[in-house]
Amino acid sequence: MSREQRSLEWTPLLFSGGLAFLLFTLFIATMFGEPPMRAGAMIQQAGGVELGAANLVTAVVLGYRGLDTLGELAILFASATAVGLVLSTQNGESDKQASVFPDKIFLGEIFESASRLLMPLLLLLGFYIIIHGHLTPGGGFQGGVILAIALFLPALARSGEIPLNHATIRLVEGGAGTLFILIGLMALMQGESFLQPLLQPGEIGALFSAGSLPLLYLAVGLKVGAELAALLVHLSGESA
Amino acid sequence: MMEMVLYAGAVGLLVIGIAGLVLSHHLFRQVLALVIAEAGANLLLLLAGYRFGGEAPIWSEGSFPSVMVDPVPQAMVLTAIVIGVGIQALAIALLIRVRQQTGTLDREQAVIEMREALDQELGRFSTAPKPRSQYAPKGERPLYPVVEEGQDAR
Amino acid sequence: MHAENLALLVALPLLTAFLLQPLSQKFAVGWLAPLTVLVTLLLTLQLGAGVMEQPISSVMGGFVVPMGINFYLDGLAWLFLIALQLSLLLLWPRGEQGQSVRVQVLMLLLTASSIGLLLSGDLFNLYVFYELLAVATFGLVAAGESRATAIISFRYLLLSGVGSVLALTGIALLYSHAGTLNLGHLAELVASGELVLPLSAFLLMLLGFGVKAELFAVNGWVPEVYATLSPRLSALLAGVVSKLALIVIVRLLVLLFPTPEASQVLLLLGVLGVLSGELAAWRAQDLRRMLAYSSMGQLGVIFIAFSLSVEAGLLVGIMLSLHHLLVKPGLFLLTEQRFQGWSMVLFILFALSLVGVPPLPGFWAKFALLTGLVSAGGWINSTALVVFLFATVVEASYLFRVVQHYHQERERHQERGRAAVSVVGQDNSGVWISTLFATGLLLTAWQIQPISDYLQQLAVQAGDRQQLSAIVVGVTEGRP
Repeated sequence: MSREQRSLEWTPLLFSGGLAFLLFTLFIATMFGEPPMRAGAMIQQAGGVELGAANLVTAVVLGYRGLDTLGELAILFASATAVGLVLSTQNGESDKQASVFPDKIFLGEIFESASRLLMPLLLLLGFYIIIHGHLTPGGGFQGGVILAIALFLPALARSGEIPLNHATIRLVEGGAGTLFILIGLMALMQGESFLQPLLQPGEIGALFSAGSLPLLYLAVGLKVGAELAALLVHLSGESA
Repeated sequence: MMEMVLYAGAVGLLVIGIAGLVLSHHLFRQVLALVIAEAGANLLLLLAGYRFGGEAPIWSEGSFPSVMVDPVPQAMVLTAIVIGVGIQALAIALLIRVRQQTGTLDREQAVIEMREALDQELGRFSTAPKPRSQYAPKGERPLYPVVEEGQDAR
Repeated sequence: MHAENLALLVALPLLTAFLLQPLSQKFAVGWLAPLTVLVTLLLTLQLGAGVMEQPISSVMGGFVVPMGINFYLDGLAWLFLIALQLSLLLLWPRGEQGQSVRVQVLMLLLTASSIGLLLSGDLFNLYVFYELLAVATFGLVAAGESRATAIISFRYLLLSGVGSVLALTGIALLYSHAGTLNLGHLAELVASGELVLPLSAFLLMLLGFGVKAELFAVNGWVPEVYATLSPRLSALLAGVVSKLALIVIVRLLVLLFPTPEASQVLLLLGVLGVLSGELAAWRAQDLRRMLAYSSMGQLGVIFIAFSLSVEAGLLVGIMLSLHHLLVKPGLFLLTEQRFQGWSMVLFILFALSLVGVPPLPGFWAKFALLTGLVSAGGWINSTALVVFLFATVVEASYLFRVVQHYHQERERHQERGRAAVSVVGQDNSGVWISTLFATGLLLTAWQIQPISDYLQQLAVQAGDRQQLSAIVVGVTEGRP
């Protein structure tokens, strides 16, 4: 805290320097640039044919490692729930009034009109990116973030006014996650494994291809968008 | 050796992040340092699947490229980034609450506040009367609350 | 039973968690979450029928193994699954805190991630479940009653964040060497000598996953968190959840890094953990933090046990873990309210077992560790032995100081002509649940021979790398 104490911090610096040296020597020894691809090589060979996804990363994210994606959606959900819990409990009404967006502030005509104009465009862009996730770089996460921003922009411009209320966000949150799991369970019901891709792979590169992967990505996109929107709404309603 | 720059950058980010975590005295800066360290770790993971001359593993012009980078680390990094975002959002929400509860975001100050609050609240578990035996050790001891009748332990 | 149903154990709690908030706007859903855990418990019982003879493996999405993520259920995972779900049902938050839908959701996510942590056979997938567990825990800590919950949860988050950065670095390092992250596949490659994994990857992952397992150097969060959580959640975290991270570390050690160096690191960190934890517990000024510190010490003892040779280490480590799993939740539950006659009896019982008094299971577990360390020999094991004996003495000292204090107080009350404390109108459920744990302890003491035979089988199975890789890598051959 005091100045003397702050000047005495060579120990952590030394520690970090040592860490740097350690990590560096360690990674010099790795087979950088020529990794022994075992799982990767198999996926490169089989992925396109097996799943029909033009973007192999999507095939991994939703097909081979679909469970990771489910876990990650759950983490976002846990985080949004925890943020709601942290910021709603013990919170008197007095805090609410000191919001970052007090009603009085008017951000100007240009800003407000622009946000109104941009919102549908951003929504469109978000859905475009989600739907083309199995063909091009992009997909549910990137598109979901754009969706969240589209929803949050009016809140920024019009002092805390959110086009969607909490109940709707919650519904989308729950519904999209449920959709993901239900698609997975449907395969299980048919005697296959959990999260086994359904439908025909189709022709690589076509919009309607890769079986159920685009559906999964749609669920991911909606979920990510709803979670991030919920997070932003919670955080913006608070003053520190 | 363009790739080596990336690789040194990843290690550098990790170290900057961890050094920042240890050195900074403002809680928000610690969050930022954590973000930097996470970026470093993610870059390393991404580089673990890089191979010289490899292209992005995406179908284009009727076929996959002949030499592709490993798609698995790319997918994992995508996951790791989103996990990181979730944790950062929670960290910032907690910081808002810290500021409301303790009125400060200074690291040492907040820790002092925390210790005081804990000692005060857990005091009900240790009402430490004087040890009666001469063989009893000196000092504060782990004790259970002595509650007068009718008075609630909580 | 269909092995593919293993996925349901994770999918069902997640599904309920996603649905709980929308449903709660229409219906009362307080019963839904515990019901889900009950269903998964029944499912586990059904799935685990033949698991001692033949572990089962199921690959998500029906892919071939190194490409897809697999779930692997062996005897060890099954035993801890049962213990986990029973404890969850017993310790499910009730009362005011349990009313909150958000707390229920976080508990369900905690359930799903803990089950995933036990079952998953893929390193990165383990990391994902570990992070989910961490985030759910941060939320539960922050929902506590104390005035300092936010800063405590934040400090926990930072430490855990550093841990996950280190773990991720370790995974990256391992991947750049091996090109696969499936434990069964990796074990096969390591066993055949085709692959030598760098020890640094183990160290990074050890520190990363060690945060939850209360490993020395990354266990700074323990006293603060256990002191502010409700006793039930502390019981859950200290008793069961810490063991899950421990099992991940043990699987890494046994399957991927069967080198003496890796064991020695574990031993060293264990010894430091025992010393720091027990001494801090001796100095602690209140019961909750005393129990938290002593938990750090006991986890250190378990780390020492796992650092023995594979067969002996697994057996002793599992014994000690199970013992701790019965005793620590019981002790934490007793702090829910002030001590009365019966809870003092329970406290003494738990304390005796913890210190290691003969007929109780704690004695057998500690005795096994003692003989293991003696027969292992070498100065490093002897040092660990001395530290372990010293820690036992310290443990006895601080645990019985509490008992002594209680009796002094009771005498003083009686001198003043007051009756013992009245119990009217208090919620006694904590003591009752603690009694259940004590019953489990006594049953174990009674049936010690069959149980240790069973654990012996379990340890042999968990250390069998050939069986693991045959089942995991072989099971999917011939599939598209």
